[in-house]
Amino acid sequence: MSFKYRLLKAIDVAGLQILDPVVRLCYAEEPKVQLKRIGLFIVIPTITFVAFLGLWGYLAPKHTTKSGEVPTPSVVWDAAKGILRFHEREDAKTADFNLTGVRRETELAEVNARMAELEPAAREAAAAVTAAEQAAREKLAADVAPLSEAYREKRREFAAAAKARQAALLEQAATIAAGDADATTAFQRAYAEHEAKSAAEAEIIKKMRDEQKAAENARNPELAAARLASNRIEEELQFLRKRQALLTAENAPLRADELKAKLAADEAALLAATEPAQRLALAKSISTQRDSLAQLEAATYSRPWTLPDQIGRSLRCVFLGFLIASAIAIPLGLLCGLSPVVMAALTPLISLFKPVSPIVWLPIIFIIVGGFIPDPSSSGILDFFNAIPLLGGVGINPAFLASALTVALCSLWPTLVNTALGVAAVDKDHMNVAKVLRLGVWARLFKIIIPSALPLIFAGLRISLGVGWMVLIAAELLSSSEGIGKFVWDMFNNGSSQTFAQMFVVVFVVGVIGLALDRIMIVFQRLVSFDGAPTSL
Amino acid sequence: MRNARFLEIFQLVKAYPNPFGEAIRVVDGFDLIVPQGELVSIIGHSGCGKSTVLTMIAGLNAISSGGIIVDGHEVEGPAPNRAVVFQSPCLLPWQTAFENVMLGVKSVYPFASKKDRVALVEHNLALVGLAESMHKYPREMSGGMQQRVGIARAIALQPKVLLLDEPFGRLDSLTRMELQDVILGILDRQHITTLLITHDVDEAVYMSDRVVMMTNGPGAKVGEIMHIDFPKPRDRLKIMEDARFYGYRERLLRFLDDCGHAKEAAKKKPAATPVAAGV
Repeated sequence: MSFKYRLLKAIDVAGLQILDPVVRLCYAEEPKVQLKRIGLFIVIPTITFVAFLGLWGYLAPKHTTKSGEVPTPSVVWDAAKGILRFHEREDAKTADFNLTGVRRETELAEVNARMAELEPAAREAAAAVTAAEQAAREKLAADVAPLSEAYREKRREFAAAAKARQAALLEQAATIAAGDADATTAFQRAYAEHEAKSAAEAEIIKKMRDEQKAAENARNPELAAARLASNRIEEELQFLRKRQALLTAENAPLRADELKAKLAADEAALLAATEPAQRLALAKSISTQRDSLAQLEAATYSRPWTLPDQIGRSLRCVFLGFLIASAIAIPLGLLCGLSPVVMAALTPLISLFKPVSPIVWLPIIFIIVGGFIPDPSSSGILDFFNAIPLLGGVGINPAFLASALTVALCSLWPTLVNTALGVAAVDKDHMNVAKVLRLGVWARLFKIIIPSALPLIFAGLRISLGVGWMVLIAAELLSSSEGIGKFVWDMFNNGSSQTFAQMFVVVFVVGVIGLALDRIMIVFQRLVSFDGAPTSL
Repeated sequence: MRNARFLEIFQLVKAYPNPFGEAIRVVDGFDLIVPQGELVSIIGHSGCGKSTVLTMIAGLNAISSGGIIVDGHEVEGPAPNRAVVFQSPCLLPWQTAFENVMLGVKSVYPFASKKDRVALVEHNLALVGLAESMHKYPREMSGGMQQRVGIARAIALQPKVLLLDEPFGRLDSLTRMELQDVILGILDRQHITTLLITHDVDEAVYMSDRVVMMTNGPGAKVGEIMHIDFPKPRDRLKIMEDARFYGYRERLLRFLDDCGHAKEAAKKKPAATPVAAGV
């Protein structure tokens, strides 16, 4: 097989058929057809996506919310970069905490150099901000002063006018003879006129005040830009200062070395000591120092959760839930498909529990899991999960287990139903073959029933994983299990325009991961489907 | 020692329940005795119940009344000593030809060593001419090759009775002739008692020792039995030149023709009692 066809087959197996026309075009195979396919499968979707971004960018600034403006695509892009920067900086700090020897010194030198480079810039930026603030204040004063002058003038004028009208009314009232109906009616009309005038004047005053406020609140782009630039530098400086501290005073090996040196000195002193009281004091000091050394050696940098870390934890959570779901659903589905009795027994339960929302399951499961883990600091169940490689690193806690179990409970139904369906739909001819060959139960199960049901089982697993991924975000949000859902919840509670944009980032992150999971499952599904499945590359 | 009553079928009935009347007896009173090592064809119009008889012998279809005895044992359910070659090859698509044959061999010889089993499977695949492509998947093989695997799978069980259910029905005539010779070649050596369901007159005459003609259903039974006296092993060219071939053929065709007429007559006069056509 030539390289071209191997490549095409690999693309096909990997579920990247979108690249197929591109490769064929590179080999100049029917260029017209390939161009048409590229247009249909690549150009048109791209145009739609760009149009979507354009519409979004146009509509977003039109709506202002409590958390600031709805972010435009470019703001969201910046937020995504910010999230990544935060993650990288935390990585650097984590590494710094344990650095020793030459590496520590080179890193420290780099940090110091960068700080020396940044500090003048930071001072300049701060000065620029001060200048901009001053300019803004002056501009504001210049803008607002005439307005407020006019406003005050107008108010004075209207107050005088109202006073005059009231005096006139009083005069008119004095001239009315008791029982003079005509004069009373005229007076009432005059009073109504006065009120209408007062209302109109109040309206004008309000309008002027609004104008004045708008001028006061008018955005000053120069000032905002200066502040942004200064903040950015200041942020990096803060990060560098923290790194500097982590590489020197807070560096774990360095502190341990110091402590060890002190310990050795104390031990030597104890050996040389003559006074009993001195000996006692030294022994006590050595003992406390040993304790703090042990603590120091076990210490790690207390790293905050970053979105990439949370994504990793979410993925582990969804896979744990998915594994639990599969471990329950596939055997149960096989039993349902094989035995009409089991099917009849389970049908009411399946139909009853299938439509229940994850939002209902989660609190119930949370309480049940909590019952099994009365003390999270010393729990056999948590220790068990924490000992599993790949899973243990994320700090399994009851919230994590509750989320995973909720995912399992909500996502097992498609697999269960599809497995039962696949088993029930095994080709009758194949079952006849099994009967004639008098295959045993296990041979029948593993040689005939499961292989023939596999494509449908995998179709079910694919739906399950998709459902699980959707359920997981809600479960994490509710259970405060560190993960994507928790990130969204935290961002929602922060309520600034910055965090608002980060929530939009999550939309795309969740979407892309869900898409990737689905593609992976499609590839698996194709690998197990026996008709026309790719056997070799 | 040849057992003259190796396969015995007496008063075999297959009745399907009819919710709005009496049960429909598709096969009613089918009698046949086959001596050991004989190849008997069962021929009849489609839908007359040939396959029903075969699946009952295989044990895949419950017997309503009557009985089937194979080598002194009454048939109860399917067993590998009555191997079936189905009309469609019925191979497991997720297994290679080798694995498909091995599946049966494993269940029939659970105590044989792995080496012996592999040898048996390879031998049988070679017998049907698949020595070269035994590790191919069904989807990589032509229909004729797939059916060869089906035959190898049946033969490898070393059955007492080989049941062929229109095994060449879906093949083109050239492949069909090849496979007929493959089966005859195997039977000439192994002398397995064989029942062949077919609706191909030439095939019945060429392959069988006896041809059983079935009347039309419902209520199908043995209409007529014809001995074919050609010497074995069969030589297609010689037989085609033999004048008797055309006599046998003529007789079969006439029987089938008469059955067809009787069917039409029965349709025209629905009140008439079932016609025992032929003979």
